[in-house]
Amino acid sequence: MSPKVRRLVKLLARLPGVGEKTAQRYVLWLLTSEESLSRELGDELSRLRDELGPCERCGNVGEIHEGRALCDVCTDGKRDAKLLCVVARVHDLMAIERAGAMRGRYFVLGKLLSPLEGIGPEDLPLDRLVARIREDGVTEVIVATPPSVDGEATALLLKRELGPLGVAVSRIASGVPHGGDLEFADPITMGRALAGRQRL
Amino acid sequence: MHQLAIESLTARGFRNLEPLEISLGPGFNVFAGDNGQGKTNLLEAVYLLATSRSFRTGRLLELVAHGQEAAAVRAAVVEEGIRREQSVGLRRGLRAARIDGKRPASLAAYAVNTPVVAFHPGSVTLSTGSGAERRRVLDRIALYREPGVLGAVEAYAKALRSRQRVLEQRGEHSRDLDDWEDLLVRHGQALRAHREAAAAELGPAVEAAFLAIGPEGSELAVRYAPGGPAGEEAFRAALVRDRARDQARRSASVGPHRDDLVLELNARPVRGVASQGQHRAVVLALHLAEIDVVARARSVRPILLLDDVSSELDRGRTDALLRALSNRSGQVLLTTTRPELMEIGRLREGSRRDFRVIAGQIAVA
Ligand SMILES: Nc1ncnc2c1ncn2[C@@H]1O[C@H](COP(=O)(O)OP(=O)(O)O)[C@@H](O)[C@H]1O
Ligand SMILES: [Mg+2]
Ligand SMILES: [Zn+2]
Repeated sequence: MSPKVRRLVKLLARLPGVGEKTAQRYVLWLLTSEESLSRELGDELSRLRDELGPCERCGNVGEIHEGRALCDVCTDGKRDAKLLCVVARVHDLMAIERAGAMRGRYFVLGKLLSPLEGIGPEDLPLDRLVARIREDGVTEVIVATPPSVDGEATALLLKRELGPLGVAVSRIASGVPHGGDLEFADPITMGRALAGRQRL
Repeated sequence: MHQLAIESLTARGFRNLEPLEISLGPGFNVFAGDNGQGKTNLLEAVYLLATSRSFRTGRLLELVAHGQEAAAVRAAVVEEGIRREQSVGLRRGLRAARIDGKRPASLAAYAVNTPVVAFHPGSVTLSTGSGAERRRVLDRIALYREPGVLGAVEAYAKALRSRQRVLEQRGEHSRDLDDWEDLLVRHGQALRAHREAAAAELGPAVEAAFLAIGPEGSELAVRYAPGGPAGEEAFRAALVRDRARDQARRSASVGPHRDDLVLELNARPVRGVASQGQHRAVVLALHLAEIDVVARARSVRPILLLDDVSSELDRGRTDALLRALSNRSGQVLLTTTRPELMEIGRLREGSRRDFRVIAGQIAVA
């Protein structure tokens, strides 16, 4: 195998869910199918990190303009700024967006409490979350962390930390399977979970 | 009560067993053979088929025959007149269970789909050993009654480890300690309720079974002994109280992880006083009771696997056991080095099938 091919295979194999075999298939495909595919893909990839980045307000994927990244939820004027949904990961945000049931905006924690992985309260962006709530005059926070043990503990922590701010804190109804992943909940389940949220 | 039975079984690459294909009877199936021939291996293969686990080891790769890549057990199982095809395959890093070619929702769901109870020489630790194994029996029974139990068991275990880690690495004043204790209380209370209900059914059934098969003049009492105080508030208060102590001893002092199913023989703890024979009778009674409770919960008689009973029990006890089993009318797979001992049991006529096990080969006797 040419060193160039080997290098590309190695790079592709670093993607989640892609092994050496699949990576090799991708490389051969890119080499033999329409030329425009690999050229366009290359262009997009080389610009990716200049044009997209974590939204500075919520952590969602946002477009970078003049050095600042903002996502289309945060720039959507029709969203209710007083309603804030806290999620663990961008994946979860996207799952909720797909359900189309969320009128408010988001805040992505990036991680969950997990002592077994060495993650404690200091590792969560709680200060930024509190600042965001104050700035926007948020009145209701919906905690949409996954229904796993770590997700539940994080929800309890948020409830205790945010309570003194005078915001209502609710938890999405556990229509999503226990120990499950928000990512895989279908839009209907997710819509129901949001509608059936409960005061913590 | 509907019938559950394995009609036919094939196994490949399993321990010392030659590739096999046998049909089983709906009643007693007696596998006779000298030591080291593969009798226990056969029962283990059946157990694997039914639960995707082993009763002998947690390292499933041991089950793959030396020099082979993979082991596979497959069977036609008939429940309530409906036949299904089940299989479990093992190879390095992989365990695949199928029902009619389809993957089950989870391996835990698979494990209770075909109820089976195994009695083997190693299970005497149920009576002689620590509470851990008895908790597992309670959880298994709870799981048959209510599949959601698994969530409570796993969530409790994780919350427990998490709280301990917080205590040891961040100390008593970590901001999230309350949250982990809240979760511990929530899942602990759920687990306790499940175990209480399981024990309430199991206890009387064990006592009755022991009366039938245990030695004359001895009485067994069984009760659930919770590992922590009753009620959410008391449990939470105890956790808070014990923080410093738990940090130092590196484990939580109270909670369902310290539950036990206490066994008392004539009002004294079995662990201290029972003879080896009495321990065996206690374990048999536990298993017979498990059959009854699972039968009630699922309206089906579990398949019973009895390994080497004659070496475990004396003649009279073996006879009593077989009589107790005849009344329970499910499918039984039984191994023995002394098939002649099995004649004395009043096995229902016409519902007994005999096999011989020699050097991994199984043949109809
Ligand atoms: N993975 C394996 N591959 C091949 N043989 C095995 C394997 N594991 C155990 N054995 C053999 O199985 C035999 C024991 O079978 P077992 O069913 O325990 O006998 P018994 O008839 O006394 O119950 C031993 O000879 C042992 O060497
Ligand atoms: Mg044996
Ligand atoms: Zn944003």
